Amino acid sequence: MGLDIADIVAAEPRELADFRGRAVAIDAYNALYQFLSSIRQPDGTQLMSPEGKVTSHLAGLIYRNSSLLEVGVRPVYVFDGKPHPLKSSTISERRSRREAAEVEWREALEAGDMEKARTKAQQSTRLTGDMVQESADLLGLLGIPCIMAPGEGEAQASHMAARGDVWAAASQDYDSILFGSPRLIRNMTLSGRRKVPRRDIYVTIRPEMIEAERALAQLGMTREQLVDLGILMGTDFNEGVRGIGPKKGMKLVKELGDAKAVMAAKGYDIPSIDAVREIFLKPNVTDAYELKWKSPDVAGIVAFLCDRRGFSHQRIEATVGKIAAAKSASAQKSIDAWF
Amino acid sequence: MFKAKVKPEVLKELVEVVSILVDEAKFTVKKGELQIKAVDPAHVAMVELRVDKKAFEEYKADESELGVNLLKFRDVLKLTNPGDVIAMEHNEEKNQLVLKVGNITRKMALVDTTGLSDPKVPNLNLPVKVVIKAEELRKVIKASESVSDHIALETSPEEFKITSEGDNDSADLVMSKHMLNELDCKEGARSLFPLDYFSNMVKAISTSETVTMLMGNDYPVKMEFSIAGGNGSSTYLLAPRIEND
Repeated sequence: MGLDIADIVAAEPRELADFRGRAVAIDAYNALYQFLSSIRQPDGTQLMSPEGKVTSHLAGLIYRNSSLLEVGVRPVYVFDGKPHPLKSSTISERRSRREAAEVEWREALEAGDMEKARTKAQQSTRLTGDMVQESADLLGLLGIPCIMAPGEGEAQASHMAARGDVWAAASQDYDSILFGSPRLIRNMTLSGRRKVPRRDIYVTIRPEMIEAERALAQLGMTREQLVDLGILMGTDFNEGVRGIGPKKGMKLVKELGDAKAVMAAKGYDIPSIDAVREIFLKPNVTDAYELKWKSPDVAGIVAFLCDRRGFSHQRIEATVGKIAAAKSASAQKSIDAWF
Repeated sequence: MFKAKVKPEVLKELVEVVSILVDEAKFTVKKGELQIKAVDPAHVAMVELRVDKKAFEEYKADESELGVNLLKFRDVLKLTNPGDVIAMEHNEEKNQLVLKVGNITRKMALVDTTGLSDPKVPNLNLPVKVVIKAEELRKVIKASESVSDHIALETSPEEFKITSEGDNDSADLVMSKHMLNELDCKEGARSLFPLDYFSNMVKAISTSETVTMLMGNDYPVKMEFSIAGGNGSSTYLLAPRIEND
């Protein structure tokens, strides 16, 4: 899922409050997948409405956004549009992995292996069109802008950050840097604790930030070279070269200049290289969007979550109340604004 | 070196003015006056204050800085009776402020002033000037407190208006030019402020009869007033709220 360059790019730990007053474009699919996979009971079952409809994504959206809005972050959710044709093999591969995981989940449940059940359940996470629609509806009620990307959501979020309309792009993947975002925030939509897989240990999750300019300077690479490194390692849009990881790939790209030189020297073949470069460097994005944050529709949220989906009235009302209070407080300026 | 004698009411006023924003403040002691500058932890408001040596019964000082815990100072002031005089002396060796009230000696440890940064003072262009009686401000604060948590200051060339609007209630003070001591406004301006800060500021203005308010549109307000019976002056600066949507 995206380019794994965590080993070579240092992310700086941050507190949520450090992003006070900042507009942040969140990769919506990425966030929703996180909610759907992590908000589960010990046996792997997701939260459900009394009718048995999955509500984990909605729980994630309401509670996480309330934390963001409370500290004064202004989130924007960017949804994926049409996937690029080159992504189809990644997509079908993910689908078969999910289907396999779902079977293994049932088996693990029958065998009574809760550990495995939960892990497999998480791997089987599916995001349906209905869930996407519901999520957009809930965000609308929260007064949070939703943007439909023409292509990749991450590309659109990065474009908005590059234009300065938002301060940063938020995603778990590093692709935003390749797409040209000046800043990437990770763990923006993850809550405080995460279980270490297969061990009974929890780690606290903190947001972290990667500044593109600093990261590239640290690596001694240009953005174009980083894209080329991605292509050699493999992206969502092409299969990489077997045996090329971040470190070896970086060494080669820096030594020889770009991926084509590396391919020529080593006899690698990546036929789609030009098309993939274009996906990252000239992404399919739009300037036709409007960023406007509105006050939350309290009655609408209560009806949507509590009356129709069985969320607790008390909890949701308290949460929405906090958002409303924070909204008026965040309008308070600091005298520092006048220095 | 700092050594002075002062009437408790002078000290009390000064402590009240500063302590609505901070618990600890740096007193900058100069040959001819005492200065305090402080910004509240949320950086929403700041205070600048100076008291001339004439406000003191006795005053001797070289340039020095005292980091004062205002809460402790306030406790000492509770020990005083009208007519008392407080003697203060800085013990530089132990970094203590030694206060004597009647037969009581209170040695107060001072705070390290390196932790108390000198706030920068923003450079503001405030086109509107209103001079109003402090009493009028106190009344409108009282009327607004049960209405909302913010307050709007609005001026036109003819009048000055303070409005507080809640969901169902509202309170306002409207004063036309002739009811004010001064109104200098060429273009209408409006800014919104947090009532808690504004209210604490107005309440801390105790001896000054009038307050000079300098304002702009969606801009901070500066409130200037006298302290220590005219032997000192103080300025509050408060950042506005910006209305959404």
